Amino acid sequence: MSAQSALLKEIAGPAGQNLNAQELRADARREQLRLLALLAPSLFLVCAIIIVPIGWLFWLSLFDESGALSAANYARFFEQASYIKTFITTFKVAFIVTGACVLLGYPLAYMLSQLPRRAASICLIFVILPFWTSVLVRTYAWLVILQRKGLINSWLIDLGVISQPLPLANNFAGVVIGMTHILLPFLVLPLYASMKTIDTDCLRAGMNLGASPAATFRQIFFPLSLPGLASGVVIVFVLCLGFFVTPALMGGGKVVMWAMRMEQTTSLYSNWGAGAALGVVLLVVTLALLGLFQWLLGARTTGVWSSR
Amino acid sequence: MNRMRKVCVVAIAGLIASTAVPAIAADTITVASWGGTYQEAQTKAFFKPTADALGITIKEDTTNGLDDVRLQVTGNAVKWDITELGADECARGSKEGLFEKLDYGIIDKSGINPKLVHDDWVGISYTSVVLIYRTDVFGDKGPKTWADFWNVEKFPGRRALSSSQATETLSVAALASGLPIDKVYPVDIDGALKSVDKIRGHVDAWWTSGAQAMQLVKDGEVDMASIWNGRAGTLKKEGAPVSFSFDQGVLTADCMVIPKGAKNKEAAMKALAMFVSPQLQANLPLYVDNGPVNEKAFETGKIPPERIKDINSAPENVKKQVLQDAEFWRDNLVEATEKFNNLIQQ
Amino acid sequence: MSIAPSALPISMRRIEKRFGSVPVLRDLNLDVEAGEFLTLLGPSGSGKTTLLMILAGFVRANGGSIKVGGDEIITTPPHRRNIGMVFQNYALFPHMNVFHNIAFPLKQRGVAAAETAQRVEKALELVKLQGLGERRVDQLSGGQRQRVALARAIVFEPRIVLMDEPLSALDKGLREHMQIELRALHRRLGMTTVYVTHDQREAITMSDRIAVMNGGRIEQLDQPETLYAAPKTQFVAGFIGESNFVPVESRNGSVWYEDRRIQTEAPTPPAGPHLMVVRPEKLRLVTATEPSAGINVLDATVSDIIYQGDSFVCYASLRDGRQLTLRDYCRSDVLARLPAPGQPIMLGLDAKDTILVAAEG
Repeated sequence: MSAQSALLKEIAGPAGQNLNAQELRADARREQLRLLALLAPSLFLVCAIIIVPIGWLFWLSLFDESGALSAANYARFFEQASYIKTFITTFKVAFIVTGACVLLGYPLAYMLSQLPRRAASICLIFVILPFWTSVLVRTYAWLVILQRKGLINSWLIDLGVISQPLPLANNFAGVVIGMTHILLPFLVLPLYASMKTIDTDCLRAGMNLGASPAATFRQIFFPLSLPGLASGVVIVFVLCLGFFVTPALMGGGKVVMWAMRMEQTTSLYSNWGAGAALGVVLLVVTLALLGLFQWLLGARTTGVWSSR
Repeated sequence: MNRMRKVCVVAIAGLIASTAVPAIAADTITVASWGGTYQEAQTKAFFKPTADALGITIKEDTTNGLDDVRLQVTGNAVKWDITELGADECARGSKEGLFEKLDYGIIDKSGINPKLVHDDWVGISYTSVVLIYRTDVFGDKGPKTWADFWNVEKFPGRRALSSSQATETLSVAALASGLPIDKVYPVDIDGALKSVDKIRGHVDAWWTSGAQAMQLVKDGEVDMASIWNGRAGTLKKEGAPVSFSFDQGVLTADCMVIPKGAKNKEAAMKALAMFVSPQLQANLPLYVDNGPVNEKAFETGKIPPERIKDINSAPENVKKQVLQDAEFWRDNLVEATEKFNNLIQQ
Repeated sequence: MSIAPSALPISMRRIEKRFGSVPVLRDLNLDVEAGEFLTLLGPSGSGKTTLLMILAGFVRANGGSIKVGGDEIITTPPHRRNIGMVFQNYALFPHMNVFHNIAFPLKQRGVAAAETAQRVEKALELVKLQGLGERRVDQLSGGQRQRVALARAIVFEPRIVLMDEPLSALDKGLREHMQIELRALHRRLGMTTVYVTHDQREAITMSDRIAVMNGGRIEQLDQPETLYAAPKTQFVAGFIGESNFVPVESRNGSVWYEDRRIQTEAPTPPAGPHLMVVRPEKLRLVTATEPSAGINVLDATVSDIIYQGDSFVCYASLRDGRQLTLRDYCRSDVLARLPAPGQPIMLGLDAKDTILVAAEG
């Protein structure tokens, strides 16, 4: 009996079984459990602040005023024309505001991305600055600027450019202007970040290979900025769908958006389900749109460029 | 170990319970109203004199209306002993059983319009919807009646009406269609909607808050509007070029209730009795344009005679106006509002 | 595909470039012959990349002239220069597949689809990437990306090809392999090539001529062999190959190291201090019995000997403490008399290998 025979025994082991296999498996399980325990607080938080309230909202939407299970809260959308109208208005505003944000925000983000770092950070502060003021205050400020006897109309009339004030507030245009201003940073910031990551050598390569500055922008810079643009567009669009203060103040009651409708409905009906159903519909439609968007975008960025 | 933990839990629960019930509960009630200048006036007119007279403390809070009460009552977390509501909200809440019964042995209802005296709610003040127009546009020849307001040929200009207060706008529309003030109720909803249909294309803004209505008129965004008399009075005091009268005004009452399960019902009842008494009611118009609900207030001599004509609930003015019927709207609010929304959002 | 007939010479005159007040290129003159492979070699900050950027048109010079085949291009925008370029990080377009990357310059030139396909296919063949046209860029290895970048730079048959440290991101083995391939490709296509690198070994391996740059100037422009054998300055001698410097002095028509006269085949430099450039592989161990005619002998002591299999390195110190390095192959006769550390030795340097340069600052 020597150290050597003990070693031989250890090396041989039971056939077909790895040394310490069970212990290693148990160790892997323990590690997984520990990781799960680390995740638990955030899982709990997500559950408590997202899953539970949304589930509750959904649950409430299924009951009518008498507390009975019913589809009345959803049927209302089809019985009352104003709901469909509001829904259409909401998406119309969202599309137009998103479009306006893209038209204004893209050149702005592009300019910022081309500025020297120092100048860009100063300009960025001006982009972010409005975030420090409440939406309500900014909306009122726009009202002061845009209304019939507001700054713009007074100036234009004084300068003799127009004789009748332009209808800029208390209508669709006012809502679009106000919301575009508030949402612009949400488009510019992700777009700027993505533009900053575009390799300048790629642009140089484009020009070197014979593409004019405009062609280089069109064929290289723009496609490479699309992911940033897409995330900005999604953020702005989704925020639009839930906007309340600005359309309520700037729309003159003529632009009723979904969130305003929720408020009206919640106070009109004595059951929470009426308002909850509106929330559920908006949530479902938004998710469906996001899914569609992701699908479209995924097909575009993962697939190869096909413009032969 | 387990037992130890249980003891701990019980001890903590006891501690929480003991601090949750204030030691001075018997002497304190909480009253909720709409906030702003109106509530400041109420504090001076009602709350402070009552607290002094009864030797209790009155804490104040603000409310957004019936939803808040419903949330507190159904959630078994009643914070308020008394709260103010619109009369139609009182009628609805009463139907839902959200309020305590009032004891008219304690509360003296004489002098209050019987339409505003109910088992579980009582009127507290009046607001009027009036027609306001800008004198810099019309001089003193502005629209005087709602029919004038509807007459876009004779009175060209920009118009604003309320979209959030569908019931008030429907009453206004009924008046505009030519009904005399005593024939407005019960409102022929479809007839009123037809009237709204005639004017809606000429409405430049539909307001959803009193502040917005005031801003629209003040900034000249519109030349004429329906507006609450308190806001109209403020505009005039600020020197805005506006004119309004109580002719064809729509009187809406506010009411007060004791939410079901209020912690200090007895003290609340006594306080409420004080609030509606002629003496305290007469204080209200000294601070704000909302008129007293108790007409005996005008007999107390507290209100200067030259002030009386500006008060919407002064007997002379009441005659010119239509009183919103809370119970009618309790039963017709939802249908009328949905139809109204369908119409104006076309 | 042959580019040789269209290869053009480049003539750069009095190129000046300052970034702010910092001069980067000073009065630089350089001629590149048609079809030549010329390398700009220098440490970072020497101005070689700036010169390349000015050639490509990405950086505007403060003054000077660039003529390509006689045409002035100093103010021509980059997209009209018709110069191909391979970037250090390849700069492939990530949103296009390999085919479209290579087809890009042809598309800009309005080449028909059928011809484009044909030419891209040929270019892929040339860089040995046949059949990878549909690959996405992010599916390629570093070496493959390098080849795509190269194919893209030559597919439109540019007059000139510029390369900015194109191999620096590759690992050593692949880099050496690509050096040979690039060289072969250049021989085959014959395009005028300006190549930038800081790697002297790479420059020597690949170039027809090398311009060694330092501080915004060209220190020496010569063929690799000449640069190595006859560096004109201490900087060039130090930058190209391994060297030790021994201070010497020129007086009375002779060159002296301490009290020993240095024999050299080069003309005797003017009086004053100079440096003798000593390459490790030119030194050898000599014995006192050997004739010293034509050989400069230095007395030294062995500090260390490092055996490297095929060769050995001997570190020796002169009497004044100066270190010299000797490298030789492990032939058996040499191995037999390998000295041990601490042992005094004699180092021999043939007069024909003795290089003298002026001592700098």
